[in-house]
Amino acid sequence: MPAQIPRSLRGIVDRIALWSRINSPWLVHFNSGSCNGCDIEILATLAPRYDLERLGVKLWGSPRHADVLVCTGPVTRQSRDRLFRTYEQMPAPKFVVAVGSCGITGGAFHGCYNIVGDIGDIIPVDVYIPGCPPRPEAIIDGVVQLLTKLRASAVVQSPLRMEAKA
Amino acid sequence: MKSLLAVMAYLIFPGGLFVVVGSLAYEYVDRKLIARFQNRVGPRWFQPLADFVKLLVKEEIIPQGVNPGLFVWLPVVALAAALATALYVPMAGLNPTWSFRGDVVATVYLLMMMTLCIGLAGANTSDRFSIIGAVRALTQLFSYEAPFLLALLGPAVVAGSWRIADINAFAQERLWMIVTQPLGFLVALIGLMGKLELSPFDAPEAETEIVSGALTEYSGRGLAFFRLGRDIELFVGLTLISAFYLGGLANPLQFLVKTLALLFVTAGLQSLFARLRIDQTVGLWWRIGALLALTQLLILIGLKTLGVAI
Amino acid sequence: MSTGSEMEAVPQLVTRLGRAQPAGDNRLSVELAVEHLPAAVEALTKARWGYLSAITGLDRTPGETEGADSGESAPPRRAQFEALYHFCRGATVLTLRVKASGENPTLPSITAVAPGAILQERELAEVFGMHITNLPARGRLLLSEDWPENLFPMRKKNTPEAIRARISEPPPAPLPASSPERPGRFVVPIGPQHPALKEPAHFELEVDGEIVKDVSLRLGYVHRGIEKAAESRSWIHNLYLMERICGICSHIHATAYALGVEQLAGITAPPRAQAIRVLFAEMERIHSHLLWLGVAAHQAGFDTLFMFTWRDRETIMNLLDEVSGNRVNYSVNVLGGVKYDIDDPRADAIRRGVDSLERRIHHYLDIVTADESFLRRTRGVGVFPTEKADVLGVVGPTARASGILRDVRVDAPYSAYRDFPVTPVTDQGCDLAARFVVRIKELFECCRLIRAILGSFPPGELRVDVPRRIPEGEVISRVEAPRGELFYYLRSAGGPMPDRVKVRTPSLANWAYVLSVAVGLKLADIPMVVVGIDPCFSCNDRMFSVHQVGRNAE
Repeated sequence: MPAQIPRSLRGIVDRIALWSRINSPWLVHFNSGSCNGCDIEILATLAPRYDLERLGVKLWGSPRHADVLVCTGPVTRQSRDRLFRTYEQMPAPKFVVAVGSCGITGGAFHGCYNIVGDIGDIIPVDVYIPGCPPRPEAIIDGVVQLLTKLRASAVVQSPLRMEAKA
Repeated sequence: MKSLLAVMAYLIFPGGLFVVVGSLAYEYVDRKLIARFQNRVGPRWFQPLADFVKLLVKEEIIPQGVNPGLFVWLPVVALAAALATALYVPMAGLNPTWSFRGDVVATVYLLMMMTLCIGLAGANTSDRFSIIGAVRALTQLFSYEAPFLLALLGPAVVAGSWRIADINAFAQERLWMIVTQPLGFLVALIGLMGKLELSPFDAPEAETEIVSGALTEYSGRGLAFFRLGRDIELFVGLTLISAFYLGGLANPLQFLVKTLALLFVTAGLQSLFARLRIDQTVGLWWRIGALLALTQLLILIGLKTLGVAI
Repeated sequence: MSTGSEMEAVPQLVTRLGRAQPAGDNRLSVELAVEHLPAAVEALTKARWGYLSAITGLDRTPGETEGADSGESAPPRRAQFEALYHFCRGATVLTLRVKASGENPTLPSITAVAPGAILQERELAEVFGMHITNLPARGRLLLSEDWPENLFPMRKKNTPEAIRARISEPPPAPLPASSPERPGRFVVPIGPQHPALKEPAHFELEVDGEIVKDVSLRLGYVHRGIEKAAESRSWIHNLYLMERICGICSHIHATAYALGVEQLAGITAPPRAQAIRVLFAEMERIHSHLLWLGVAAHQAGFDTLFMFTWRDRETIMNLLDEVSGNRVNYSVNVLGGVKYDIDDPRADAIRRGVDSLERRIHHYLDIVTADESFLRRTRGVGVFPTEKADVLGVVGPTARASGILRDVRVDAPYSAYRDFPVTPVTDQGCDLAARFVVRIKELFECCRLIRAILGSFPPGELRVDVPRRIPEGEVISRVEAPRGELFYYLRSAGGPMPDRVKVRTPSLANWAYVLSVAVGLKLADIPMVVVGIDPCFSCNDRMFSVHQVGRNAE
């Protein structure tokens, strides 16, 4: 449950900031080697049937404009570096949503030689959405879970862990 | 007392706060209309506000290789220029706060500052996409600003004054100039859309080609200011065009009805077409737009000289 | 199919150079000595006998099945490799077989006579370690720049575990830039993270103002090592792997694989199963083309059309969901048949859905043929004359829009297409607008086929048994994916796992077109031209390609 609401001015500013972050999650999408299934379902959430713009979600092309990195696929060797750099380019506070089973365990491609790891090995992930691919409803649910997590923990900044691959 | 009123005018109404709130509201209406045309539900009413606040509280990254001073101050200048224009137009259907001879030209120039700043901002970075976006933005500037100015001069010529307040008063007494100067109206509206890089004239910001164009590297506050500046320009631009061509703005009700009607038309235009390539926008509009506006102007000057009352 | 006459048309030179023998239905195999390869290929291309469809590499080193590290297992055997060059004409596949041996097997390049082969030869060189002489291009394609030298993943002795053990940690420093900056060059990098690309790839466009002067392409971002993984999974397990090569055309991949395995096992799936397979394939084609139309519209900045097409696409997604339980990866195929049946209520639902969709498709046809703003972006853009398209071996709607009648469902009908023939759609326009028209008209054909199948649905069982161990042999399975010809080569050594699975996807064949028309185009047209071939990088990075046009040889 949310912590005691602070009464100071700074607290009010924080509350407003949090409100704006929860209501305006801008996405940038990165495909780090996926078969495309998850990416298509992510796009489908922007289409009229599901329409994520209702939640304030907009898909941008530049990482600098985005708050949430939506990432799909097992991480291939070539895309590893780009994934990391895309994450780095995003201004704080930033969050990561990994869509699809490939981003969790490698999915169907577990054990293939060109896969270096799961998305969580490269960048810190806030929400995993399993599925092969997850339905748009599941993706929306994942986004909502991210926003709920934000609201509950009043986390303003995601830790910027620059870890090398373990 | 007068200076207190002046300060209030700058900061709250009809400048400052009122303009900001109005622009955000119009952005909402625009996005909602487009969503509806696309068969979607669309955003919530406070969405533009949430977007703006979120950007303000976000980290601002100053990329390498830019001039930091320019990088930070260009959005501020752009926003300031846009806010300033609100003082010269019949905002909310009331008389403009400030008015002097020639202020129509000054206002158009101030409106142009936004595009200039975006162009400079794009050129300031070392990012490929920004540079291309900047080049395209400045190219579009030539093809849209000039016709836009010419189109606004038409009513000025007919009204016999360079003051927006006078033109506004004149328009209220006459037949709507959209009827007598249809070419001018068309050029002005398209010119406004081109200035603001609204679809289908959004080549400088063509997401699928150059990411976000000139603003690719902006984040946080800078981006917030540019976006707000755009919204304000839309707001002010619609006010200006409806004041001139839709029979003047005499009171807040007329203001609301006429500007929203124009917004509806622009939203429709945004939804109907595929994006024009930059050479097509320039080729199309620099030639046709400028020609149309010039022709209209010449006709008006001719008629006026002959003493025909329009 | 008068394959007899096709066989006869094979140039005498080819059959004289090597040992020719029939290799199954509609297949002819010619074993050649290495030095005769270029001459044979030249004879085929001069006589315009078909087109080069795929090049398969095989590791035929005897006894190398366990994952021992090189140099440690005793006794060391001389490595032997074979390269298969598959030429297709109608239903006939002519395979030129060339052997090479040793640690550094050498092959001559055939790009001088068959320019489209560059992409596939580079794959051979990279993953098998074949040394291909006179190869016009260098550098990494599929594997990353920091991949160890002399580690060839497709060689049998290198199991996935052994490879992973040998790959050291990726260096912390960023990978080097793809091409050094030359002064005066303004290079626009596109991808791998770019809104125009839903999948990662890396284009480098050298531009002068808005005109593209040079283009190069780096793929491999989606290379997962599937062909290698297939060799250590059972035949059934691989079905689920092949489905996930691509999320858009997953069913057709699985179908090609299943058909191939069934051929090897010498069985045929029952007619009802074949009909269901084709039904799903056509529904997949509808969903894929509508998806593509939306994405292309988005590329052109026409978001309204994007929203409308994806809304209508939901009709098909619902139908697929209803019958199979999943919107993507429907997993209809099993080896020997299909899993799901289509009962009457579902058949009715499909009919209704298809009817309503057809009305919408008429509307889309209107847009792409009559909407001026759209035509301004597509008419006359990316013109690719019939001759060039033929020579470069493009496939699918891309080829058909240049007037080439190339459709595997017509040339070599498989599965239920024998009973429900397809009327192919072609257009002589050769430009981007023609590609739009072809795909939309194909949608009508899909609707017609679906109705025809539902109208005369063969009764019967859904599957027959397939043994766990597939008999020894090799087979080629060609199908028509939404993007064009999909080519599967399967080889069994008689065991529970495949000896070799080779997949040549349609997008690979169509890249040649993009790279050859890119120079001289405006920057804004590049995304449109790319989307015109309906590229699928995840299909593609089965292979990989880098192409340098402009100053360098094509």
